[in-house]
Amino acid sequence: MSRLVLARREQVVRGGQPLAFFVGLVFALVLGAVLLVISGDPVIDTYQRMFERSLGSADVLSTTLNRAVPLALAGLAVSIAARMGLWNIGAEGQILFGATAATLIGRIGADWPGPILIIAMLIAAMLGGALWALGPGLARAELGVSEIITTLMLNEVALRLIRYLQNGRWKDPEGFGFPNIEARPDQAQLGAIWERAHLGVIIAIAVIAAFAWFVNRSAWGYELDIAGASPKTATYAGISMRGKVLGVMVLSGAIAGLAGGIELTGTAARLSENISNGFGFAGIIVAALALMRPSGVALVAVAFSAVQVGGLSIQTLGVSPAVSAIIQALILFGAIAAVVFSTYELRRVERKVAS
Amino acid sequence: MMLAEISITEPAVIGLVVASIQFATLLYLAALGETISERAGVLNLGVEGMMAIGAVVGYIAGISSGSPWVGLIVGSLAGAALAGIHAVAAVGLGADQVVSGLALTILGLGLADFVGDEYTADPRRALFENVDFPVLTDIRWLGDTVFNASPVTYVAVAIGIGTWFVLNRTSVGLGLRAVGESASTADAAGHSVTLVRMSAVMVGGALAGMSGAYLSTYVVGAWSVGVTAGRGWIAVALVIFGAWRPGRVALGALLFGFTLALQLRLQPFGIEFSPILVSMTPYLLTIIVLIVISYRARNQPSPSPAGLGKAYRREER
Amino acid sequence: MSHPAVELDGIWKRFPGVIANAGASLTVRPGTVHAVLGENGAGKTTLMNCLAGVYLPDEGAVRIDGEEMRFSSPSDALAAGIGMVHQEFRLVPTFTVAENVVLGAAPRVIDAAAINRQVAELADRFGFEADPTRPVWQLSMGERQRVEILKALWRDAKVLILDEPTAVLTPQEAVELGKVLRRMVAEGRSVIFISHKLDEVTSFCDEATVLRGGASVATSVDIATVDAGELAKLMVGESSATPPSPRLATPGDVMLSVDSLTVMDSRNLVAVDNLSLSVRSGEIVGIAGVAGNGQRSLTDTIAGLDVATSGTVSIGGVDVTADPPRRRVERGLAYIPEDRLGVGLAPKLPITHNAILRSYRDLRNGPLLSWDRAKAFGRELVERFEVKVGREDLPMASLSGGNLQRLLLGRELSRDPSIVVASQPTRGLDVAGVAAIQNLLVAQRDAGTAVLMISEDLDEILALADRIVVMSEGRIVGEFDPRVVSRSEIGEAMMGAPT
Repeated sequence: MSRLVLARREQVVRGGQPLAFFVGLVFALVLGAVLLVISGDPVIDTYQRMFERSLGSADVLSTTLNRAVPLALAGLAVSIAARMGLWNIGAEGQILFGATAATLIGRIGADWPGPILIIAMLIAAMLGGALWALGPGLARAELGVSEIITTLMLNEVALRLIRYLQNGRWKDPEGFGFPNIEARPDQAQLGAIWERAHLGVIIAIAVIAAFAWFVNRSAWGYELDIAGASPKTATYAGISMRGKVLGVMVLSGAIAGLAGGIELTGTAARLSENISNGFGFAGIIVAALALMRPSGVALVAVAFSAVQVGGLSIQTLGVSPAVSAIIQALILFGAIAAVVFSTYELRRVERKVAS
Repeated sequence: MMLAEISITEPAVIGLVVASIQFATLLYLAALGETISERAGVLNLGVEGMMAIGAVVGYIAGISSGSPWVGLIVGSLAGAALAGIHAVAAVGLGADQVVSGLALTILGLGLADFVGDEYTADPRRALFENVDFPVLTDIRWLGDTVFNASPVTYVAVAIGIGTWFVLNRTSVGLGLRAVGESASTADAAGHSVTLVRMSAVMVGGALAGMSGAYLSTYVVGAWSVGVTAGRGWIAVALVIFGAWRPGRVALGALLFGFTLALQLRLQPFGIEFSPILVSMTPYLLTIIVLIVISYRARNQPSPSPAGLGKAYRREER
Repeated sequence: MSHPAVELDGIWKRFPGVIANAGASLTVRPGTVHAVLGENGAGKTTLMNCLAGVYLPDEGAVRIDGEEMRFSSPSDALAAGIGMVHQEFRLVPTFTVAENVVLGAAPRVIDAAAINRQVAELADRFGFEADPTRPVWQLSMGERQRVEILKALWRDAKVLILDEPTAVLTPQEAVELGKVLRRMVAEGRSVIFISHKLDEVTSFCDEATVLRGGASVATSVDIATVDAGELAKLMVGESSATPPSPRLATPGDVMLSVDSLTVMDSRNLVAVDNLSLSVRSGEIVGIAGVAGNGQRSLTDTIAGLDVATSGTVSIGGVDVTADPPRRRVERGLAYIPEDRLGVGLAPKLPITHNAILRSYRDLRNGPLLSWDRAKAFGRELVERFEVKVGREDLPMASLSGGNLQRLLLGRELSRDPSIVVASQPTRGLDVAGVAAIQNLLVAQRDAGTAVLMISEDLDEILALADRIVVMSEGRIVGEFDPRVVSRSEIGEAMMGAPT
């Protein structure tokens, strides 16, 4: 007589982070193949197309990199908050509101020279994102209100705000009947650095590197670790929990907002409700796959972006684009299982027979 | 028309009440399921995904069999099956509940789009008809509004009452609540935390699936990509708004259902207010209510289940 | 000849890295209160956990009423009539008393009124009061313990195991408990009483088994006839670390001054009631009193973790009432909180992170932290205070209680404080650990530091303190000279009797 239990391993399996992602990827590709077979779609062709159209040439690779930028920044935003045990599920809304704030600057400074306008818009985007996270941050810091719910709710509010602007004050007069927001000024376009990849890639890399390095090496980062591991210990040590919670949420929001600003000035030509495009939620997945460490976020974001870009391209084969979403979710499930199994293992517990 | 001049027998008003009850039913089913799951301590953010799966499977099962009831039941089963993944990941393996739930939403939405690809513009229908109570439907105003609903509404009310009863008046409910408040205590008292939590998650999934099937067999009456339109998230908010109690969640469902219904029906009332701004209300309301609850309960234990969101592993020393 | 109610025969229980029980044995006669005696770490709780179905013994037999049993879960043990009240209560705070009592043994459909009545009647039968409708979070520790006992009685436990029950009771409540136990054994039930305090055992129990090092060194000793000194020697063994002997103190200036302090607790009740106290350098002031009389609020307020409603706290003559914790530490305060792993240390983080908790600001190069210097600091601390660690980067939770406390004390004392506030500093430590910590505190006192020590262990206070103060219901109800006071005087003071 025995039963299976999950018991802690003596030694945690090394190399957890890349292992988790790899396991997740394999798991997803296998299950995805099963799904394709069931629906009568060609497996090899589909996967080949996904690879070719995301990583197969300089041209598509640069597009993949572009798309990896908001994913990586959203992932960074989530992982920084997670270091303190906070969940920023509101990256979607912060991206949207950041882009909205940038659009506002774009309208005000429509005649400004390009570089100045871009910088102003990006700063506005960061402030916008920070502002959108400020409410949830305050509610959590002062009253202990769950930031999961407040940030989630604000996502929907930001979305509707854009719809409101779309149909109202910011409506594009040349829209031909479709409600669109006016395009942002032409000169507010991030320059290309390689094929189709724009300057945002450099900005993102710089931001991520700066954070990864700073958080691990600064006193602020140490305080963050203490606060996240044991709030009571942090208070005992004189670290202001309120200050930390608020600071981290605002910072997280600012990074997400920056993603929105970069999208607006990089890939998109105008603000729309699609500018966040699920990046906020995908950012959570990216952060989870990177085991909440800023250092891993960049690579995971590129890999994930490849899956998304590849997924868009298979529609011409007659395969449902939903396959990409399914694969993304499966990667995540596979990865979280891998994480659990790197710390725990299945053991059979025997019931002793009487001697 | 001035607001004050509107009489409640105006067709616009009647239509508003009927629609409110429809949306309330939709939200209530999903929120009840999530309430059960969360009272047992498991956060399931995959409601939107389970609703979508319920909708597409419910639609397909309904038109294949010709009966919306079959659609409702099969849709529920589909929701439960999807929830099973979350049960295994979050409860069985103890993985992070937030991440697993969000992955479930993405998976559910993706699978639903994938399966429903061919059914998008399908003209076939399998719809519920409104229930005609012999006496009650003839009552003057109530008959056209409150008693003018599909059988699913009555099913939802029954499930709501049943949930309240089980949670508060049975040993099963006591055990479930204990698992959610203090899993180690429940474990020591002989309840299997794993079994209780997994069951709660799957029941929650079944109800979310039922809500989705209700969507495609009555409220909208068909399947299309994005038919859930964020209402799964409203259900998640609703659970908190109702402080995890079936009765209060019902009241909240009526309120939120009203705002959903109102969005499309502002014009006859001559209200200049943008329907889009109205559509923000459920979300803003939830935030405000949360803040008020937290402020007033500063010196008391919080109404949320104490163990919500935390994985439970029985550690041997 | 009837069978013993409980027989444990040659129980072995091993955990990774430690042997908790090494062939321990025990025999309990029905209708008796049986003590399981031993120092902290002797294996008493583990042995009882084997009996109660929490652990499965690696070797050995468990016999109930002469029949060999195999318990693979607490429910199995409960079904066989074994109920255990652990040191940490397993109650659902938001449930009522009745709900907690019947959890896991409730009828399918619950009629609240009937259940409430039945629970009240059960309590009445054994001579104690319990309001079945009160939510548990409102109850005191003593009241919660009664709920735990009711749980066992509801399931008709024939054998009740109590793990250090008097640790959370006032002397009066302990007497009440004794009466309840007597009523139980009068019905033919048996009680097993785990304790490390000899005097309790002699007043409550009929027979005793002594454990040391995981094995039984004496079984079924008749309390009435045994010599207490013999028992003590059996518990402690031949080589025992002698507790430090306090030297005559020559106190200096007042280092800590608390004036008319009033503090409310989280339930908006008065926890500290207009309390005044001072501690001079070179003296140890010991606060005696059962937990739950405001000690924690007092120490937290002194440290700045809690806010006073009125009154002042001064360190070294400077009013710090409005100062945040960090400022107070800068002014010379060191705080050893009662909750080692929850407050004083961050168990999920490695030793280095914990070691630099007070001094990380000094280890900076500009905004950056120098991890090299941090690790060096940690290593030095570990060496100086003899903390036994495996690897530096392991999380703190893997250390034993004694080592954790050494690190905690070491970290706080390394800053050369002028006033040390130590709350339950030796709770749960083994003999060597207790001696080490007590020596550290006395050394501080001898070096001129002011020490305020709060302890539930009256023996510890009597041994170490230069001045004893008794706290009851948030007030100081007595001040005593340890050289002349008797234990009963202190006990009366703890109960609130005017002195």
